[in-house]
Amino acid sequence: MNPNDRDLDDLLGDGGGRFGNLYRRLPRYEPPRRLDRAVLGEASRAVRNGKPPRRQRWIVGIGSAAGLVLAAGIAWRIGHEPMATDAGADRVRVVPVQPITESPRARHDDEPSRETPATAPQSAGASPPPSPDAIGQRSDADTVRRARKPLPGKPAPRPVSTPQPKAASAASESAPPPAVAPEAFPQPLDAEAEAGKSENATRPAASAPAAKSARSGAAASDRLHRAAPPTPPSSSVELQRDMQLSPEDWLSRIRELVRQDRRQQAIESLRLFVRAHPDRPVPADLQPLLD
Amino acid sequence: MGSEKTDEELMLAYAGGDLLAFELLYRRHRGMLYRFLLRTLRHRADADELFQDTWSRLVAARERYRPEAKFTTWLLQIAHNLIVDRYRRQRPQASEAETDAVFRELDAGEAERPDRVLSEFEERRRLQLALEDLPEEQRVAFLLRVESGLGLEEIAAVTNAGRETVKSRLRYALARIRARLAT
Repeated sequence: MNPNDRDLDDLLGDGGGRFGNLYRRLPRYEPPRRLDRAVLGEASRAVRNGKPPRRQRWIVGIGSAAGLVLAAGIAWRIGHEPMATDAGADRVRVVPVQPITESPRARHDDEPSRETPATAPQSAGASPPPSPDAIGQRSDADTVRRARKPLPGKPAPRPVSTPQPKAASAASESAPPPAVAPEAFPQPLDAEAEAGKSENATRPAASAPAAKSARSGAAASDRLHRAAPPTPPSSSVELQRDMQLSPEDWLSRIRELVRQDRRQQAIESLRLFVRAHPDRPVPADLQPLLD
Repeated sequence: MGSEKTDEELMLAYAGGDLLAFELLYRRHRGMLYRFLLRTLRHRADADELFQDTWSRLVAARERYRPEAKFTTWLLQIAHNLIVDRYRRQRPQASEAETDAVFRELDAGEAERPDRVLSEFEERRRLQLALEDLPEEQRVAFLLRVESGLGLEEIAAVTNAGRETVKSRLRYALARIRARLAT
């Protein structure tokens, strides 16, 4: 056998033959430490900064989807909160108002300012007017937002306020909106007034009892706005509840307040009753409350 | 526990983000790869550079690794490609004909004479010199065999050559080394 072939067979054998053995006796060089650090550092950075493994991408995707669902749920909840508030009036307990101290001028002065954001774009021609439904939705949402936090530039509604002198009421004609935030005005009053106005405008000759009660409600509301003697504040929620009672029940409720020694509350409720039902005589036992 | 895993398992684990797997893999093969590069390139600076480049390429391609390929074959393929690129840039290569001519000039019989037996130290020195003088393809084939322990098929895969070609290169390399040891 040729020595080259023999050496090759030896080399390819397990031991590597003569030359394999000789090679293994050569110095066994190792890479320097700095290369170890460089390579391991690069491998580490690649794992940290590189694309995450697929299972981690799953987690990121699921997390993002869950976040979107949560955000949508919160937005939906906020959008529907006014209805829930109306349905459960007893949940609304801390909206302090002065429902009968507001001067009519202040009330009417404030209305354009509330309308301005909706009408300004129309006059500017920047965008088509929103549909009535859209406006209604927006005003509902605005009502909730404004009930939750005071508008900038307006003082926050105070839980308890002192009776305002007429001078202050007059000053409110030219001054910014009064201390009484219109948004804090009992919602049924506004609703009734608005409903009454629309009823009067569209059905001037209505004679049905429903129309009559609507007119009387509108008249009462209007009078509330026009003649508002200073009265101590009370809980709008309780007054709101009183207004939803039938006249007889309302009077019974006032008597109950007297019995509970809540005279101030009874006075306020009775004054409201008189304005809401001007054609009904005040019972004699409650007459002293108006004196 | 992790050290009992195969190279391929460790590489897959690293591709999945297991840095410890890479460290084990690196410890196993760093010396072999470094010596292969150092003796192929003959300059420490070049060996250092290509050593780091080889691992960098491996790290960058970790997600494309498939366990069907033996890890050492894949690692040495990367290194070999870098070596080829380096040689292409640096200098022209000796052709097969030139190496054959050198081979024919060698007097194998002379090298077998007893008075030519060398000390072990001298043998190692001459082996190193012989390796340095080998044409690149023969040196690579020889080193892949003696340093990395690859068989003919694996050397053929790494160097992208045929099995018989690898066998021929090894035969020539051995003849040259033997001649060098004999002088």
